[in-house]
Amino acid sequence: MTTSFKPNIRPGMTITGKWKHARYRVERLLGEGSNGKVYLVLQERDRSYCALKVGADAVDLQSEINVLKLLDKEQGRRGALAQDAFLLDVDDLYALDGREYPFYTMKYVRGSTLSDYLKQQGMEWFPLVGLTVLNKLAELHERGWVFGDLKVENVLVADYGYAQLVDFGGVTANGKGIRQFTEIYDRGYWNCGTRTADAKYDLFSYAVLCIHLHESKRLKALTKELLPQNRSETELMRIVLESEGLKPVAGWIGKALSGKFENGREAAEAWRRLMHTSEPSKQTKLPGWLKGLATVSAIVLATSVALLLYNVFI
Amino acid sequence: MMKQILLITDGCSNVGVSPVVAAAHGKSEGIAVNVVGVLDDGEAGELGAAEIEEIARAGGGLSRMVNRNTLSQTVQMMTRKTVVQTIQLAVQKELKQVLGNGSIEALPPERRGEVVRVMDELSESSGLRVALLIDVSASMKPKLAAVEEAIRDLMLSLQARQGGSEICVFHFPGSRNGEDCMLDLGWTDHLAGVSSIFPKLQMGGTTPTGPALMKVIDFYRHGTYGKHRRDETDGMMSDYVV
Repeated sequence: MTTSFKPNIRPGMTITGKWKHARYRVERLLGEGSNGKVYLVLQERDRSYCALKVGADAVDLQSEINVLKLLDKEQGRRGALAQDAFLLDVDDLYALDGREYPFYTMKYVRGSTLSDYLKQQGMEWFPLVGLTVLNKLAELHERGWVFGDLKVENVLVADYGYAQLVDFGGVTANGKGIRQFTEIYDRGYWNCGTRTADAKYDLFSYAVLCIHLHESKRLKALTKELLPQNRSETELMRIVLESEGLKPVAGWIGKALSGKFENGREAAEAWRRLMHTSEPSKQTKLPGWLKGLATVSAIVLATSVALLLYNVFI
Repeated sequence: MMKQILLITDGCSNVGVSPVVAAAHGKSEGIAVNVVGVLDDGEAGELGAAEIEEIARAGGGLSRMVNRNTLSQTVQMMTRKTVVQTIQLAVQKELKQVLGNGSIEALPPERRGEVVRVMDELSESSGLRVALLIDVSASMKPKLAAVEEAIRDLMLSLQARQGGSEICVFHFPGSRNGEDCMLDLGWTDHLAGVSSIFPKLQMGGTTPTGPALMKVIDFYRHGTYGKHRRDETDGMMSDYVV
């Protein structure tokens, strides 16, 4: 973050685009990224809310904008998971300090971060939210992109487990160097592979994400103790195997950490099969998150509800 | 082919030609000189901070003061940013010739998008060489493990680029024989098989930052850093030693 980045944008202010003259009223700050700040704003044009990201550096932000433009261009609007465009408006603004800053607007994604959501709503939402994230990754992979900077803070979850990825600053085309990453989610950090973008890179990050959600203290302790040359997937798996919450997905995580899933689609399918509790012969133990349910009929009910939800979201 | 020198140090230079002059030499050779000051909490850094900034400014590079925990991230960030900056300067020159205005920010968003797209392509695909110059004075000893990790991490990131990347590693001061710096690792694109970058070092007493920089610049030019060349370069520069 550049130390001189002080656009001084405050709630109640109106931002006007320099080139296209669209007007936005600032509601509040949503968050700060490594290269800019994101605000919730009201579009004067149609009185709807959107998110507005102001960047410290025009070239840096443009890089990000270019990726979002490509994603929008490629994406068809057909299909059950029809999504809105990533990018709404691209422009520059004049800030209170007299300088010009680049900005772009995008759809406002409501929700809490993944960790907050699961704390408030319960870990039983983890399998479904996890599946949604994997499906989003799968879509990107199918179009030749890698998300790159997957981490707890970049997954927002709204009602009923509706998860969305935010902060596309790390999105990289297959085969290129990952543009932006966070150490503990980076497979290079764990000596488990390169920083060249491929689908497996995302799946490794996803596996670390699962570990972070269930065993964040142990993960933190591990990163502090381990010498760089001793970081490995074995060390990560050690945490997984000793974790009650992660036992049901231990096998899946092992495969993700060692790059055994070819892409997000394959990984999502495997995850979904794990959720499918109508195959009890495959499991000798109840998955952790179903432990609260006392009777067999309750299990059947849970399965039907889960299948119903999957049909809604997939 | 983009060229950078990354100087990692924790104190002021105290012998030989001024490192600021040396950095300016580097810039004139097309080598960007970046500087990272590694200071642990509590260490008095005010004296070194000003010099570090000046060296980077003269060398057309970036400078940062960090503690050893953020060293890896800082090294990578600076290397990447310098690549972008180098390309941006070249692009701005072109823009100035064509449009009379070299500012990318002055372009309307659509034009800007195209220009930045080209810049990103170049950033990713250009060849890159980074020469690391590491201060091994006594106070740096506890920080060397972090430096080694940062170098390995940098190699990993460079390998991910599409363009070919190579690093080489020098330490300074050289040895008891009074050499200003010493080559630990020649130009390489991988660290497989390198168990330890720094051999058992005899931590020197002086900090000949300037002369060490001149040697590294020499290395870029000639592929050697001149025991035999020493007389020649020292001859001219020694007139300016304070």
